[in-house]
Amino acid sequence: MRTVLLVATGLVTLALPAFLDGAQLGIYILAGLAAMITVGLSLLMGQAGQISLGQASFYAIGAYTAGLLAVHDFPPLLGLVAAPVVAAAFATVVGIGVLRLRGHYLAFATLAMQLILLSVLAQSDWAGGAIGLQGIPRLSVGSFEFEDDIQYAYLTWACLALVLLVARNLVRSRPGRGLRALATSEVAAAASGVPVGRYRLAVFALSAAFAGLAGGVYAYYLGYLGPGSFPVLLSVEYVVMAVVGGLGTLAGGVVGAVAITLLVQILNDLGTQPGMPSYAPSVLSYAVYGLLLVLVVLFLPRGIVPALTRRERS
Amino acid sequence: MTRRPAAAAVIDVRDLVVRYGPATALDRVSLHVDAGEMVALIGPNGAGKSTLVNTLSGILKPAEGSVSVRGRLAHVPEGRQVFGDLTVEDNLRLGGRRYRERDTTPVHAILPRLADLRHRRAGTLSGGEQQMVAVGRALMSRPDVLAVDELSLGLAPLVVADLVRHLQELNAQRGLAVLLIEQNARLALDLCTRAYVLEAGRIVAEGSSSELIADERVSAAYLGGVVADVE
Amino acid sequence: MSSELAGYLLTGLGTGCGYALVGSGLVAVYRVTRVVNFAQGAFAVVGAMCASSFLTALPHGIGELAAVAVAAVVGLLVGLVATGTTPQSALIVTLGLAVFAYAVEVLVWGDQPRSFAGLPGAVSIGDTRVQSHYLLIIGVTLPVFAGMALFFTRTDTGKALTACASNPYAARVIGLDVRRMGLLAFTIGGALGGLAGVLVTPVQQITFDADVTLIVNGFAAAILGGLTRPAVTLAGGLLLGVTQALVAGYGNAAHQTEIALGLMIAVMIWRAARRPAAQEEPA
Repeated sequence: MRTVLLVATGLVTLALPAFLDGAQLGIYILAGLAAMITVGLSLLMGQAGQISLGQASFYAIGAYTAGLLAVHDFPPLLGLVAAPVVAAAFATVVGIGVLRLRGHYLAFATLAMQLILLSVLAQSDWAGGAIGLQGIPRLSVGSFEFEDDIQYAYLTWACLALVLLVARNLVRSRPGRGLRALATSEVAAAASGVPVGRYRLAVFALSAAFAGLAGGVYAYYLGYLGPGSFPVLLSVEYVVMAVVGGLGTLAGGVVGAVAITLLVQILNDLGTQPGMPSYAPSVLSYAVYGLLLVLVVLFLPRGIVPALTRRERS
Repeated sequence: MTRRPAAAAVIDVRDLVVRYGPATALDRVSLHVDAGEMVALIGPNGAGKSTLVNTLSGILKPAEGSVSVRGRLAHVPEGRQVFGDLTVEDNLRLGGRRYRERDTTPVHAILPRLADLRHRRAGTLSGGEQQMVAVGRALMSRPDVLAVDELSLGLAPLVVADLVRHLQELNAQRGLAVLLIEQNARLALDLCTRAYVLEAGRIVAEGSSSELIADERVSAAYLGGVVADVE
Repeated sequence: MSSELAGYLLTGLGTGCGYALVGSGLVAVYRVTRVVNFAQGAFAVVGAMCASSFLTALPHGIGELAAVAVAAVVGLLVGLVATGTTPQSALIVTLGLAVFAYAVEVLVWGDQPRSFAGLPGAVSIGDTRVQSHYLLIIGVTLPVFAGMALFFTRTDTGKALTACASNPYAARVIGLDVRRMGLLAFTIGGALGGLAGVLVTPVQQITFDADVTLIVNGFAAAILGGLTRPAVTLAGGLLLGVTQALVAGYGNAAHQTEIALGLMIAVMIWRAARRPAAQEEPA
């Protein structure tokens, strides 16, 4: 049953871009990129019990890595490959320092990391400063160039599939299973030989890699980058997606990302109706994000996907 | 401390079931403590003794069954659990806060050592002194029954004997009922007239102390197999 | 000492007091409830915004006090929601409430920076002139910290709060209403946050998203003391404020964020190195 659902979803989403127009393809891509980031974050929060309030920094790092390499005439494919690697490297450095502490330490450390990153980017001329990088060339593999939105949509699909595959292997790895079996106590897990610290670091670094890859795709798709595209609120948005979808599950990450991306579009449309004040879109999104976080944690603590699967089982 | 009018059962537990998530910690436990009695609850580590006391003092909620306490119950928790950052005097006064009892002099009268230690930070005291603070703190609420969890754990025999003497005095002179939860079965059965044996969340034996001491299985499991005299 | 340096020290101490107050709010809540309150910065913003509105109708002193009172109530409301779940989940809940606060703030006060007048005039230190208001900030913060210390160690309620922080299990054993203590802690946190906002805004405009900077700096001050020691938080906050002022004055003003936050991360890593991993198991 599960496999059938999975294959069906895969086929439907693969076929979907052919039926979408330009603006809708944009939403498809953004949802797909958000899903890549949220899957990693969801694993981090659900399995490693850590909260990152700076996933957008890895998104930014990946995007700027790809963008900078491309703008300096390196082959674009190299940029796309380097993006996740550089992001993961950053995460490893921060994680080694902080992951052994309780969840709220990482929350603040990642928040601080993003603030520092944004501040540095805004002041660095080599990164384009506050205006950012302009004129990032299209992604090209060999002689094939990604020109149309629909091609980026397929690229996003492929990258998300890759992310899900890697994530699934991580979850099913021995440390992953060991940690879940001893979900009640990490001390017990560690005593049983599960390398808790290294697993956590791996999850953190991988979540950064996923976000970095998404950033790389984003850079080529959009063609320009600025620090303003990666505010702290974006990191909060990913947390909302992860929490709503269901922490610790892969499907939850995807469902949450898609749901919130669509919700944001609806709110945007609502907020920009004639007669609405100029700050309406932001007020609506803040209110909804805030309410979702509070209500989901209080009343649907495992998120949408686990709630649904539990219903299906009972 | 005034004597309260005699009541039939100060603690009455019937068919109590307590769960931690999916695990059942107490499975249809029934026991009672009458006014003025000293009753022991013995059993191995992890049997659920502390769970029972936590339920008596309201920290845990029954899943099924009933717990009724007539009068005031004061809980002396396992491991002393004093407020280390506060003075002995502050610890005592906090014990009476729930019932707005602020006067520590009666407790000083029963446990004079606490008057001497009044201004010491509780965290700096020895184990035996901390245990005395924990008992004194419990007495502050002028209880009708004291539930004492693992009084002897980690304390030297002389210290335990001193504390036990105080409990016996309180029981004999003021009618304070005591539920004594102990891994040290010999101590518990010497002190109390009646006892229950709790294993894996179930009462497996109950009766007067002399009955239990004479019981071969209990004696073998908890008393080293030697049938001892009861004073 | 050059008058320029003295000027930076003074302004740094002033902003540092703001961080220390926010940090002490975090400490008050964490000690009693083990919750890291992400809405702490929002209390400061709400307090400041309210003051900016109240002071158009009320005289100085009253307006600020009213704003702090509102912030305390907001703290209580946050506490009501946050204590309804585990401490780990409460972090996300308070984060959600902080984001929701944005909606309210923008709706009521708009998204532009706001400020109001503080203590008028300036003091001269040699050639440098520093706004007198900085003296007010320091002059209010220090007694508040002293008052808090007295409250926690000399009053019955304060001692009950300390007891809850010191040993939550024992607190429940003796029948302390731990939930009410938690709500009280949140109310105190609200008041402290509100006071921070009210004190600092006359010298530093407040925007609805200023809570991020405030809470990150407040946290940086508070973790120096492991989120449990107000006196160390004060020291940490002052240190942070002074460092930022010196960097801004002698170096590049834009780098002060990095320096401050980098310091915080360094402290965190130092703490991680000191404690073995097993000790960090959540209770």
